[in-house]
Amino acid sequence: MEEHVPAVINLTYLWKKEREELGEKVIETIKGFGAEGIEYCMQCGACSSICPLATTGFEWYNRRLIKAIDFGIRDELFDDVTPWACVACNRCVEVCPRNVNPFEVMFAMRRLMIEELAVPMTAVQALKSLYDHGHAVYTTGREARKKVGLPEKPPTTDSDEKALEELRVLLRNTKLPELGLFPMS
Amino acid sequence: MKVGVFICHCGLNIAGKINVKELVEYAGKFADYAEDVDYACSEAGQEEIARAIAEEKLDSIVVAACSPKLHEATFRRVAAKAGINPYMVTIANIREQCTWVHSGIEAQLKAMDTIRMAIARAKQSKPLERKRARIRRAVAVVGGGIAGIEASLTMAKAGIKVYLIEKRPSIGGHMALLNEVFPTNDCSICILAPKMNEVWENENIEVITNAEVEKISGRVGNFRLKVLKHPRYVNENCKGCIDDCSSVCPVEVYDVGIRKAIYMPFPQATPLYAAIDWENCIRCELCVKACKPDAVDFSQKPEEIEINVGAIIFATGFKPFDARRKPEYGYGKLENVITSLELERLLSASGPTMGEPIRRDGKKPEKVAFIQCVGSRDVNTNPYCSRVCCMASLKNALILKERFGIDVTIFYIDMRAAGRGYEEYYRMTMEKGVRFVRGIVGNLYEKDGRIVVRYEDTLLSRVFDEEFDMVVLAIGMEGNSLLPKSEDGFAEVAHPKLRPVETSTKGMFVAGTASGPKDIQESVASAGLAASKAMQLICSGEEELEPFNAYVIPDKCVGCGLCVKVCRFNSITMDGKAAIDAKACAMCGACVAACPADAIDMGFFSDEQIMAEIDALTEEKNTDPLILAFACWYCGYSALDLAGTLKLSYPPNIRVIRVPCSGRVDAEWIVRALERGVDGVAVIGCRPSECHFGVNSIAMKRVEGLNEALELYGEGGRVKGIWCSAGEARKLVNSLSEFVEELRKR
Amino acid sequence: MKYGLFLGCNISFNRPDVEAAIRSVSPLLGVELDDLNGQSCCPTWGTVPSVDTIAWCAVGARNLALGEEKGIDLVTACNTCYSSLSEARYKMLNDAETMREVNEILKKIGKEYKGKSKCRHVAWVLYRDVGLDRIKKAAKYELDDIVIAVQPGCHFLWPSKVLPDREEDPFNPVVLRELCKVLGADVRPYTRMIDCCGAGALKSTNQEKSYKLAKMKLECIRKETDADLIVTTCSSCLIQLDEAQEMLRKRGEIDFSIPVLHYVQLLALCMGFDPERVAGICVTPRDEIISKIVESGRK
Repeated sequence: MEEHVPAVINLTYLWKKEREELGEKVIETIKGFGAEGIEYCMQCGACSSICPLATTGFEWYNRRLIKAIDFGIRDELFDDVTPWACVACNRCVEVCPRNVNPFEVMFAMRRLMIEELAVPMTAVQALKSLYDHGHAVYTTGREARKKVGLPEKPPTTDSDEKALEELRVLLRNTKLPELGLFPMS
Repeated sequence: MKVGVFICHCGLNIAGKINVKELVEYAGKFADYAEDVDYACSEAGQEEIARAIAEEKLDSIVVAACSPKLHEATFRRVAAKAGINPYMVTIANIREQCTWVHSGIEAQLKAMDTIRMAIARAKQSKPLERKRARIRRAVAVVGGGIAGIEASLTMAKAGIKVYLIEKRPSIGGHMALLNEVFPTNDCSICILAPKMNEVWENENIEVITNAEVEKISGRVGNFRLKVLKHPRYVNENCKGCIDDCSSVCPVEVYDVGIRKAIYMPFPQATPLYAAIDWENCIRCELCVKACKPDAVDFSQKPEEIEINVGAIIFATGFKPFDARRKPEYGYGKLENVITSLELERLLSASGPTMGEPIRRDGKKPEKVAFIQCVGSRDVNTNPYCSRVCCMASLKNALILKERFGIDVTIFYIDMRAAGRGYEEYYRMTMEKGVRFVRGIVGNLYEKDGRIVVRYEDTLLSRVFDEEFDMVVLAIGMEGNSLLPKSEDGFAEVAHPKLRPVETSTKGMFVAGTASGPKDIQESVASAGLAASKAMQLICSGEEELEPFNAYVIPDKCVGCGLCVKVCRFNSITMDGKAAIDAKACAMCGACVAACPADAIDMGFFSDEQIMAEIDALTEEKNTDPLILAFACWYCGYSALDLAGTLKLSYPPNIRVIRVPCSGRVDAEWIVRALERGVDGVAVIGCRPSECHFGVNSIAMKRVEGLNEALELYGEGGRVKGIWCSAGEARKLVNSLSEFVEELRKR
Repeated sequence: MKYGLFLGCNISFNRPDVEAAIRSVSPLLGVELDDLNGQSCCPTWGTVPSVDTIAWCAVGARNLALGEEKGIDLVTACNTCYSSLSEARYKMLNDAETMREVNEILKKIGKEYKGKSKCRHVAWVLYRDVGLDRIKKAAKYELDDIVIAVQPGCHFLWPSKVLPDREEDPFNPVVLRELCKVLGADVRPYTRMIDCCGAGALKSTNQEKSYKLAKMKLECIRKETDADLIVTTCSSCLIQLDEAQEMLRKRGEIDFSIPVLHYVQLLALCMGFDPERVAGICVTPRDEIISKIVESGRK
């Protein structure tokens, strides 16, 4: 796995950047994205010991991501895919002795990255598919459904234009349109 | 009522900042007599005050000088000498809370207000008499572990009668079950057994085993304990031979090793009588027949005993954390996952395996893991550090490694080895080859009779699976107290630093781990202190009480019972009308403030005295905004004084009324002050969990409630609670400055 | 017993045989299903939960409200749907501000979510509401000589505090094992039972790492249980263990093939439904195990 963070990190620079450029500490940004418990972390390693990402050698898995954020590292992590590999299994939440909720930290990082457009295409496609069809996973081929004797269209937004439009209105009233990932009109 | 005022120059401390002559003239308008004195506390000053009291026939005096914390007692003595009641003295604090923090006209005006308020208060003063209570020369010690043993011996050797009440069949507690103890590695029972024996032999100690305290009534000096003594089913004829009875017992119980239903808790048990595990006993009575001295007696019944003592020491110890509450470690399901206390039994030379660390399947482990912080530092179980587990694991790791050649890995978050000789011990453990992994384990599972540990070494940032023959969970301690508990489940103490063995109830003390995790030496130290505090009380024979106690005015009492609810000291009983035990009253005043019928009042801080101060303050408005602060005697008042000592100047808009506790602050006072033109009221009390009476939460609720009510009239924010310690002068001054600013913006 | 059948994307489009299975078995077990017309994606993790908490909760609340309007709970055969909907509900119930903001959005489409309806997992409905006895009685075939290794899946277990039904010990889950045992199977434990299968975002981000997890699990199953069949309660685990296994086998990384079924598919087979319809879609071949169930398992 390629390291995206330089070997020697100038923390004085990051400290100044937090104060002068970003206007708030990175950890505060992450808290604002839903990881309210991040400051309780004592780096005990319970979350990482059972994290599928740590097991498979992703670089910035839960415990390390938390520490990096605490240091004010941010943009340097934008090239890393680890948060996008999180399967949201929530083992970390189960074993964390301090209610840090490491899962929310991973997802808060995703939410920050998406704002900065550091987002993998697969995520954009999934979001677009949710908006277009009401389903993140969607296929036009319906042989499988026909094969098992089910109607071609499931009783979802797929077969209900009104419901799909409802979902679209709903999505247009969330933060999604601000991000400008794809046209939503 | 003739009131005289004495204004002290305190050299230039006071006279250098304000015009004392003008103040004397001003005081003369409100009092019958006023003069100034160079140094009121000096001998000459004291003589002058005494002279004036006698010659001017004064009934009540005001001394405007330094803080009452310094010389209130001095001037009370002067008053008594001059022939008036010592409680007819009122101090106006014009040094720490005036000339040391303000200057110019503002200081002058604040001094005028302070003296005017003091005169009004002095007019309402009443003579009060101190009370005395006799104290019984006996102490009950609840819990016979090392803390209870130490406390009992200390007092018994000083000639005090001790009742030592133990729940289990033997005294000795957890320490009796440990193998060796850090940092010296002496055998635990070897150093404890002589003390247990001493307890048993001491004429002044009555050991009551298999017994539990059911009820405590009475008050300091005369507590009554109702004790339930469970049957042991073995009488004093027992010779402690144990073989005859246990060899015929058909019941086998797994208790780390196998034992019978009739058993000796451990070879050094005191008293050395067999015990019967009644839950597992099948009542076959084979032991009854086997016992030659006829010591087994199934006809025993529970007994209730009453004990009368002057003081009680609670040494009820701790409960080991139940490791099943951390299901990821599989305790109770995986046979080779054991707790640290079970390992202590295995390693104990007199334990079930004679000190051999063998698994239940009889195999000797080659690789052992310790997992630290099980049930500690964990908000889902216990958030605190249990303090002893790091050292205990180091000690056991060392024994496994050195004595048995077993490879040991300790999984830790932080190794905590603070204590004399502890860090050195940690170093020695490393030197002997114990391996340390910084990372807590997420999950354990069994594979081919071994335990697989899944962990991340947080220093390497790599995840590992590693097999061990045995995993030891370093379980923490949990509270086991009969006393009021803090949030952490341990007994609450009167002050976490300065009164660590006292409780909020006078005459009740706490020793050992009942008040929080401690190792053996800390337990012994706290037991010694608890014993000495109890002896201090007992040896005085009598208690002299300040005459500030609350009392009921029966005609006004409506019997609502609110006072009983707010009293933290069980001093109030309700039989149609409330009655307060003056000698049990802690004098906080919470009940006085709570009484909706004004049927309770108290000495020295009476409603009349405080109302008089409020009314006097609002007769003139000498500052804008005007803030009245009620400052609790322990923290708020002390912090204001400290601001003076540190010469931290702050806005001169604050006028102070001293109260025994923020719980004494009556909502009516605040309303009255606001109605009469005060712009804001501050209630200054101790920090949330540090109230000396444990009632400031009531004050906080009152402040909140009042603000909410005021909000309805658009007057919210005019009442402010400030909660600080006696040392937080800066924080207090900042809060007061903010309050002034907030009021200015209105 | 009436529930709104919440399908989710995977089952709707990739594994409709699971849908067919659940629709087939339900009436015979006394479970009435409502179609919850107009339901959408739960939302799955890679969509709005990665954007914003409120958006996540709003999409979830819309789906839950479809049941609430009818006074019924939802039931799903997909662990992701179960977990995403449960966590969204937990957030809304535990934070009034979130609930308020979500309902403000829902108002714009004329909907409201009060927090009443929840999403249940089909395995729990079978275990708790239908009951093992009724399942046993409904089965036509018994899995006499069949060895099963179960895969409960992450989102069936964690985080336990947000889920409507909880295993007594989530580190040692028993519900799926009990459900298989009642059909007569020999359910064998293995050490990596609660490990992740490698599906989901991990797979879309790094396929090789995803296969690594699947391989670890499959090899462990093979070595420690020698199972004839893997049974799961999760549509993602089903797809991953089925497809990744075939890929690993083709690449020569493993030399065995263990068919994978969703529990409702196994149940439908035991109840005698047409295998083509209730278990007709797979990559790792199932024919052998299906004929074993049908041919030799008659009661």
